[in-house]
Amino acid sequence: MKNGFITTFSQTGQSYKTHIRGIGKYGLLLAFFVICLALSLITPKFLTVQNLMIIVTQVSINALLAFGVTFVIIAGGIDLSIGSMVAVTGVVAASFAHPDTYPVAVPIGMGLLAGLLFGAFNGFVVTRSKVPPFIVTLGTMTIGRGLALIISKGRPVSNLSDSFNFLGGGKILGIPTLIIILIVLFIGCSILLKRTVLGRYIYAVGGNEQAAKASGIQLNKVKMVVYTLCGGLAALAGILLTSRITTGQPNAGTGFELDAIAAAIIGGTSTSGGTGTMTGTLIGALLIGVISNGLDLLNVTSYYQQVVMGVIIIGAVVLDSMNQTNKG
Amino acid sequence: MYQTASSCLYSLHVKQPEAVWYNLKTNMRRLSLTSITATLSVFLLLSGCSQSGTNETGQEGEGKKLVVGATMLSMQNEFIVNVHDEMDKEAQKAGIELITVDAERSALKQVEQVESFIAQKVDAIIMNPCEVEASSPAVAKALAAKIPIINVNSETSSKPSAFVGSDDIESARIAMKFIADKLGGKGNVVMMHGYMGQAAQIKREQGAREILKQYPNLKLIAHQTGEWDRAKAMSLMENWIQSYGSQINAVFAHNDEMGLGAVKALTDAGLKDKVIVVSIDAIPDALQAVKKGSLDATVFQNAEQQGSKAIETAIKAAKRQPFDKETLVPFQLVTKDNLSKFLK
Amino acid sequence: MSTDQDYILSVSGLTKTFSGVKALDNVRLNLRKGEVHALMGENGAGKSTFMKVLIGLLTPDSGEIIFKGEDLKTGNVNDILKKGISMIHQEILAVPELTVAQNIFLGRETSSRLFGWLNDRQQIKQAGDLLEQMGLTIQPTTPMKYLSVAEMQMVEIAKAISNEASVIIMDEPTSALSDKEVATLFRIIGDLTQKGVAIIYISHKMDEIFTIADTITVLRDGKYIVTKPASELDTTQLIALMVGREINTLFPENTSPKGDEVLSVKNFSQSGKFTNINFAVHAGEVLGLAGLMGAGRTEIARAIFGLDGFNDGAIYVRGEKVRIQSPADAIRQGIGYVSEDRKALGFIPRLSVKDNITLSSLRGFFTQPKQETETALSLMADLRIKANGPDQAVTYLSGGNQQKVVIGKVLLAKPAVVILDEPTRGIDIGAKAEIYKLINQLTADGIAVILISSELPEILGLSDRILVLSQGRQTAMLSRSDATQETIMRYAMPAN
Repeated sequence: MKNGFITTFSQTGQSYKTHIRGIGKYGLLLAFFVICLALSLITPKFLTVQNLMIIVTQVSINALLAFGVTFVIIAGGIDLSIGSMVAVTGVVAASFAHPDTYPVAVPIGMGLLAGLLFGAFNGFVVTRSKVPPFIVTLGTMTIGRGLALIISKGRPVSNLSDSFNFLGGGKILGIPTLIIILIVLFIGCSILLKRTVLGRYIYAVGGNEQAAKASGIQLNKVKMVVYTLCGGLAALAGILLTSRITTGQPNAGTGFELDAIAAAIIGGTSTSGGTGTMTGTLIGALLIGVISNGLDLLNVTSYYQQVVMGVIIIGAVVLDSMNQTNKG
Repeated sequence: MYQTASSCLYSLHVKQPEAVWYNLKTNMRRLSLTSITATLSVFLLLSGCSQSGTNETGQEGEGKKLVVGATMLSMQNEFIVNVHDEMDKEAQKAGIELITVDAERSALKQVEQVESFIAQKVDAIIMNPCEVEASSPAVAKALAAKIPIINVNSETSSKPSAFVGSDDIESARIAMKFIADKLGGKGNVVMMHGYMGQAAQIKREQGAREILKQYPNLKLIAHQTGEWDRAKAMSLMENWIQSYGSQINAVFAHNDEMGLGAVKALTDAGLKDKVIVVSIDAIPDALQAVKKGSLDATVFQNAEQQGSKAIETAIKAAKRQPFDKETLVPFQLVTKDNLSKFLK
Repeated sequence: MSTDQDYILSVSGLTKTFSGVKALDNVRLNLRKGEVHALMGENGAGKSTFMKVLIGLLTPDSGEIIFKGEDLKTGNVNDILKKGISMIHQEILAVPELTVAQNIFLGRETSSRLFGWLNDRQQIKQAGDLLEQMGLTIQPTTPMKYLSVAEMQMVEIAKAISNEASVIIMDEPTSALSDKEVATLFRIIGDLTQKGVAIIYISHKMDEIFTIADTITVLRDGKYIVTKPASELDTTQLIALMVGREINTLFPENTSPKGDEVLSVKNFSQSGKFTNINFAVHAGEVLGLAGLMGAGRTEIARAIFGLDGFNDGAIYVRGEKVRIQSPADAIRQGIGYVSEDRKALGFIPRLSVKDNITLSSLRGFFTQPKQETETALSLMADLRIKANGPDQAVTYLSGGNQQKVVIGKVLLAKPAVVILDEPTRGIDIGAKAEIYKLINQLTADGIAVILISSELPEILGLSDRILVLSQGRQTAMLSRSDATQETIMRYAMPAN
């Protein structure tokens, strides 16, 4: 038996790595670099260290949300409530962040707690009811928006402490804090997805829920964790956004869920679940950021900006699905 | 044979303790469905309470208490909330009943709300229109039912019984005039629009362009929407700084939220001292910024007066007393010099 | 190039390469009108790729396909379907929510001339006539989801007939059919060939091939081996041609010592599915579960494994009553289950061989890529899983190899008892023999095996004891020496 194995395996062994790793990821990377190259040829203002830092800073909040929703989509779900969570966690954090009240850990902790609870509530309803996550989170999206208005009484929560404002607006060794946080969370989320048992289970649950169950994976636990995690990341995004614009806005984050989902899907996460990577999502978010920055630099009218963005989103997904079928 | 595999796996088995996340105790299971429903209904109650702006303790008027129905553009907008709060206060003072509903920016909803006011036979209607054209049918319906309808804050194409508000074009004229004066009629300006196509955005752009025409040396080098949003405006300003750097002499933002976003981006880039920022609305945050000197000026639209005048007009109309067909509450430029008048 | 007038379909020099590997290498096939032509070969021999080229799902690199004297333009599924080549897929591709009639006319709905409205009544009538001609009692208005697998297959054939197909490809059509249903299928095939329809028949069941096939073409490793009249071959010769070596004993003798009781159920019942089932299985023993389709075999397995609940009775592991509410509980109790439906319950298609194999055995917080790869490699060697490597996605493997991945996953969780539900369904004879050997190896290692199979020779050849079920009730427990095909069938037939 051993002998038979060795011959069959060694014949094809060398080619498997190149064969398996998706061309899709490289296709996306290629599209990204082509757009960057084009922009730097058109305008000299694009390819400067400062502008690139600004792009990454602007992208970071969407990227955090996209990381969270990537977990959910890979597990076969969807979370439409992340934009509302940004608002809820933002105003909660801001309420505790006035100068000379609490140390900065308190607003962060309270914001995070709000996000985790909100996410857990999503997970709870999704796992305990037969209602599709699309509907559940559509509902909690509205609930969240309402909660944000209730907590803030419909008004922005302003006058925040300097230490709180440093989180999203400061710099460490010349690098904006948002970029540092983005890098740390990107690494963290990548490890969680690719190097942990939980990550493997997330792929399994999204790839074939019934087979995952039959393999002894407890679906409800995995889903609970995934939605809670998404809530936590949305809370971080909410806290950082509040800090960046130095005010907690009850209507902040409107439509953010769509940008985040777009980033994940552009990045190769399949809406049917089971595939996707954090690297892809990061590139997806950067792509959106680069395009929006580039169009601003070129002073393209806002009407056309929306059209261009839509075309690029569809283009990226078409490109990706073409690669998917080629592989099969 | 497969013995090798199992022994190998065995080491995999014992190497790690039980998974951390796996150990999440089954606490969640204990939360019952009833507790969820309970929580939900609390939420619903809360949201219900905070929006009913009725007054139950009015004194007895001449027999029956007057009822005024009000439909507001959006109770998520701070300015509108301020207008409404004043209306509420005024109604309480006058001892009338005010029923407020939120149109949530939907003209269709607004028309339906006015229809329901008509059905309830209110004595007067105050409408804070969502859209110029789409909210017009509401006016026609109220007039047909012989119920006086007062537009507050913005206009519809159908003429209502009375209009109380301010002219948005005027606010932009004031803001842009301030910029022109400050720059001596010469320099580069960027403009941040609200949501493209909304009445306020269209009028504020119109007003700004009127002034720009008077000053040929004042150039509009870029304009783009910031969607009324502070975070979006901040990103937009960052990108403009990359694009134009120190060429920008002034920023005109259609509202204070965006103006404050621009201020934040300029401050971060160390350019605030060299660039004038002016916006409209005079929200508390903006007044604080004017006080600090980071925002050069804002334009005060008098929410209190709009609110109180609206109720005043509504009562007169309901009682069939003579009333002004048009009450224009003037805008006021707010700078460091006259700030104290506006800070409460 | 063959220009023989008799040939309705003539394929020559067909080559198809996937990322450098030749899946088809200069393959040929000559199909006569009205014949049943068996296409034989092990898994991975290239049969599926060949058929995918024929129906236009794949475009070949080179080669010629002459259909009814014309060069067949490859690569257009609809075009080829219209020209008259239909395929009955191994995995049935019906739309479960639509009715039988709607499925038959799917994509070719008859519409009234004026408005393009669907003409339901006419469709239902046509479908009804067609099914009647085939001697079937299926109602055309029944939603597809209420049909049995066999009935669905018949509907697929009806669809091909209504499509006026002159070539029908059948890929493992009997894998889910009972003997009676197989007889119906063969009768229909006879009718079709009488009318001049040619059948390309793919199956791993030797007896079927020799019953029905006129001609046999053998492929091996993507290459054409031989075409011969069926009458000139016997099973041994055919297997030798397919495998390239001779397989002597299909069923190895189970000499493992029987140990203590590992698993038992008492008074086990699930309403509507099975009632009062009692049995025990011991270490090193193979317990066969025999019965017709719908006898409740799979339902019992699913209930033991925690996939479904049960109403009455209890499960005992090593004599102790256990609580099993989910597969996770079952796995923890040392129960392994290889499902009959490996697509739905077996594996995660987009995950790699390694990730699938280790899925039930992961512990701790972090994964152990190195150890997992080693484990996967050694299991792949032991089970002779043919893949490009441990990182290849399981979806790209052949059915037999996918099955082995699922078995590997179950074994890796170190079960004390393994339930194998139709473990050899749809896999080739070489892989079957390997699975039989594996079952033997399991019992030698002291594992108890519960074997569910619709193939009586398999049950008879491998089981120490056989539990016969009929309509959800247990009708006999036979020892190996008492059991024959006839006795099993007698107990398995429904009592009036």
